[in-house]
Amino acid sequence: MKRFIAAFTAAYIFLFLWGWLLNGILLKDVYAQTPNLWRTQSEMLGFFHWILIGQALIVFAFVMIYASGFAGGGVIAGIRLGILLEIAAIGMRMGVYAVQPFPGKLLIYASIGGLIEMVITGAIVGAIYKPPAARTP
Amino acid sequence: MNWKKFFVAFIAAFIFIFIFEWIFHGIILKETYAALPPGLMRPAEEFMKHFFHWLVLGQLVFVFFFTMIFASFGGGGAAAGARYGILVALLGFGANLIQFAVHPLTTRVLGFWGIGGVIELAIAGAIVGAIYKRSSSTTP
Repeated sequence: MKRFIAAFTAAYIFLFLWGWLLNGILLKDVYAQTPNLWRTQSEMLGFFHWILIGQALIVFAFVMIYASGFAGGGVIAGIRLGILLEIAAIGMRMGVYAVQPFPGKLLIYASIGGLIEMVITGAIVGAIYKPPAARTP
Repeated sequence: MNWKKFFVAFIAAFIFIFIFEWIFHGIILKETYAALPPGLMRPAEEFMKHFFHWLVLGQLVFVFFFTMIFASFGGGGAAAGARYGILVALLGFGANLIQFAVHPLTTRVLGFWGIGGVIELAIAGAIVGAIYKRSSSTTP
């Protein structure tokens, strides 16, 4: 449980900082090209807590999936899970692209950013979380 | 990995996801989506003519890797598959919460996505789990 919480906390801090860097700075100009798809800056601030809860839920589910079937494999297993989950997420993103008028380049940038995010999240979780039997006494 | 069972599980789960999403998004939520701010969704005609293949391709990619992750566990039956599906739905709902924060969506859409996602992926996980069982329990 202690390692679960440590893995969750470390991965959450990374996800928050990466999300801020990717979406708040790197992709800012791309988002600005489609203003009708987004809430206004001031409106978004009022919804900021939903972003924090959403990120927490993503990290919690990631660590739970890792602990359920990948634990013990270390960093490599964590990275593998991160890659598999992100490719599944790219599938979901393609579905969103089909129904919402996003520019194609946003789909590509978000998928590259998501892949980097999930690889590092997986590495963090794999490095910290160890199943009980694999721990040294 | 048992590739034969993997592909049977993948195809069965894909058929379920395709039908579920058609009923859920195409019929049940049709009016809810129509009430969203104009320009947020593609017009129906544009979607059907130019983007429907992206939706199907996206579902294929999602289900393929959803099945692959479960198979990487080594399988485990319908109950284990349903538990796994619920965890993936929670992850997806986290992404939905972020979408809700940045897009002008309504709480009604968010609520339906959360409930629908859990039902959809719990059943898809149960299908995958029922077909792709642990090799020790499937071999005589």
